[in-house]
Amino acid sequence: MIAFENVTKSFGPLVAVDGVSFAVPKGEAFALLGPNGAGKTTLVRMLLGFSRSTAGRIFIEGQPAGRSESRRKLGYLAEIHRIPPYLSGWEYLMRQAAFCGLAGVQARAAVSEMLKRVGMEGQEKKRASHYSKGMVQRIGLGAALLGDPALLVLDEPVSGLDPLGMRDVRVLLEEYKRRGGTILLNSHLLSEVERLCGSVAIMNKGRIMVQGPLAHIVQASETLEEVFIRHVEGGKANDA
Amino acid sequence: MNNLSRIAFITVKDLMRQKSFYVLLAVALFFVLLLRSCYHGSYTINGRTLDPASLALHASVIAFHVVAAGMFLMTTLLAMGIFSRDREDGTMVMFLARPVERWQYLLGRIAGTWLLAALFMFILHLTIALIGLANTGTLVSGYFTATLICSINLLFGVMLTCTLSLFLPNVMAAIFSLIIIAVGFVSDGAYQLMQSETLRQVISGQTKTAPWRILFPKVYMLQDYASTWITERAFEAMPLGYVWLNVLVWTALLAALALWRFSRSEI
Repeated sequence: MIAFENVTKSFGPLVAVDGVSFAVPKGEAFALLGPNGAGKTTLVRMLLGFSRSTAGRIFIEGQPAGRSESRRKLGYLAEIHRIPPYLSGWEYLMRQAAFCGLAGVQARAAVSEMLKRVGMEGQEKKRASHYSKGMVQRIGLGAALLGDPALLVLDEPVSGLDPLGMRDVRVLLEEYKRRGGTILLNSHLLSEVERLCGSVAIMNKGRIMVQGPLAHIVQASETLEEVFIRHVEGGKANDA
Repeated sequence: MNNLSRIAFITVKDLMRQKSFYVLLAVALFFVLLLRSCYHGSYTINGRTLDPASLALHASVIAFHVVAAGMFLMTTLLAMGIFSRDREDGTMVMFLARPVERWQYLLGRIAGTWLLAALFMFILHLTIALIGLANTGTLVSGYFTATLICSINLLFGVMLTCTLSLFLPNVMAAIFSLIIIAVGFVSDGAYQLMQSETLRQVISGQTKTAPWRILFPKVYMLQDYASTWITERAFEAMPLGYVWLNVLVWTALLAALALWRFSRSEI
């Protein structure tokens, strides 16, 4: 479904992503883990075409990422999702629905259904400027799920949500995964990753330190947190 | 509806949500309505009293030019912050995370701003035409054609400000846009004066025009040509085909520059 082939991204002398390669098969939930500044968000931005790679190639279902055609297949939720403050949740989702090819009654039905699914029913007429961070994140997730995309790209999807909100999002994502959807998840919450994802890649300083199925990476005697710390701290020790 | 026209439509809706749009429109209409008093005076030029029809025509032409020139300020204010605002409030990501090409987003935003500016100008020109009709009983023919022609100037103005705003901070982009337009007005206004026989005789030997002045955006000339639809005089300041070509080529060049810049920018 997604393939990163030796992808590098430099900002002047700073190498944010350094020769990263991995693939996410269709129907899999894949997590990108790493400390702040590891290059996870840069990878996601390149996948969406928001940023160009300095070297290497990225594909979504065989098509080069960044083309509008490849974005037709994906839904995206940013870490700090923003909704224009003058729009209501309803208006925002209706706009998103229009770009998914939905119109008229079909769009209104899809948006109503989505508002129910993300727990925002009854709040849709309020302007986004009156939404809490968690409400914005829920509307953002609803927008990402509109049009039933084959791939969900989520950058810290539960950021700003309370425990109940986190549970609701997890339920939605598990349901999406059961229906055969592919997920690329960027998260700091290792417990959420362990529950949802089958494979992970741990990044540090623009490089992948380890990747593979969760069952292979995490041995019986340790936790994902310990593996994460070992690889990230190990990277620091090697640098020293 | 394709993505470009959908984004243009959304842009018009978004701009019309801003209170500042209505404040600007109300202020502009207030000044245009002050024109009513011009029709009630008695004007004598070279010992001849102007008849109401001539008075209406002259007042309409002056108001036409003031509105058309003033609209450059309005378009600059509307266009200067489109892209930076879209970056800040998440609108840019909202569009570009969907199957929308960058050129569709860019041109859609520009087209929407232009359409709204043209509508704004049309309302003001319509008000002037109606004031003339109410005071003289005659509608100045050609007024709406003149407005349509001037809307091309607005497209140039929007394109100029939007393109500069991709390279410069918003305020700098607005100031540079207004300077470029003002230089065009002064340069072409002076050029037109130089074409008069009287002035040519006074400053004989100094009528050669610098190449940059010939190549500079001919927004003033296009506006002057538009006004000939009201006055029904001939436009002789320079070849009309060149005036059209100049403004359209500049607009296309600016669009190409904006597309080049935006296609390489990080979202």
